[in-house]
Amino acid sequence: MGSMKVLVIIPVFNEEETLRGVILGIRVSLPDADILVVNDGSTDSTSNIARKEGVLVLEHPYNMGIGATMQTGFLYALRNGYDIAIQVDGDGQHYPDFLPSLIKPLLEGHCDLMIGSRYLSDGGFKSTLLRKLGIKFFSSLIWIFTGKRVTDPTSGFRAMDRKTLELFSVEYPPDYPEVEAIISAHKKGLHFQETPVAMRDRQGGASSIGFLSALYYMVKVTLSVSIGSFRRLK
Amino acid sequence: MGVRLNLFAIIGSIILLLVILELIRRRYLQERYSLIWIVTGTFFLLLSIRTDILYRISHFLGFYIPSNALFFFGILFLILIVLGLSVITSRLSVKNKILAQEIVLLKKRVADLEKSLRSPE
Repeated sequence: MGSMKVLVIIPVFNEEETLRGVILGIRVSLPDADILVVNDGSTDSTSNIARKEGVLVLEHPYNMGIGATMQTGFLYALRNGYDIAIQVDGDGQHYPDFLPSLIKPLLEGHCDLMIGSRYLSDGGFKSTLLRKLGIKFFSSLIWIFTGKRVTDPTSGFRAMDRKTLELFSVEYPPDYPEVEAIISAHKKGLHFQETPVAMRDRQGGASSIGFLSALYYMVKVTLSVSIGSFRRLK
Repeated sequence: MGVRLNLFAIIGSIILLLVILELIRRRYLQERYSLIWIVTGTFFLLLSIRTDILYRISHFLGFYIPSNALFFFGILFLILIVLGLSVITSRLSVKNKILAQEIVLLKKRVADLEKSLRSPE
């Protein structure tokens, strides 16, 4: 168990206000893990902050979206022999204190994909009403296509084992990947679970999702998942 | 619009929609770029099934023959799609340039590193 190589991937796009705090928090709760910042074409000092902290840094030449950013991290994790990769957002929403409980079932081999759910815990920031509706919608969608209940399908606070990384490194949507990724993991026969985590409201920067893009998110995922059910996995 | 033309329009739009869905399924078309096509196809299917809507629209816009309105919308959607594609192509060509420049700079760095490894000092 102690010999497992763990990589924490932080996808960042203009997170200069919060990134340092996130890195320091991860170092406290998972001192043995390596930290990889994947910079998705930030135009502020995000990249400098990451370098100053001495973490691993990969730079996209331009903005490619959260899905492509995570996938870059997955490829790095696979090629460098990591057993487990964790996604922690760079905006400070995810409390690093929950990292050990997020990866414990993976270290013990109980599941392949662990999703941190803010709806399984008391307290902490939940979400606005509109977002909650969106989340309900995605939960139902996942239930229809997998028969499983996921309380927080858009949560980006996740941990993956190598089997999941191998899937996600070839199959991961470039934009709004969270919901589709769960469904394709299920199709591949991977086991996913949720664990309670608390989240904060974002600490800085701007949310990546406005009203129109939320609508696009729902339409796109529904379309993609429906058509995807007629598609065989590679 | 005659019954035959009507039937032709319905079958045509259904085929268009099926082709779009199949292209997405085979991953020849990304979901992101498929939405406008799906909207177009659905719109045409709707207009060919419910010709009364088409009649009302064409009357409102002042077309003498409803099928002219259909042509008009066809051309309108085509212009939108082609314009959209031009924007996407422009964006891609900028990204492509940046990628090529990154590679050239990386090649130079690797070559320099190799040279300095072969002849230390």
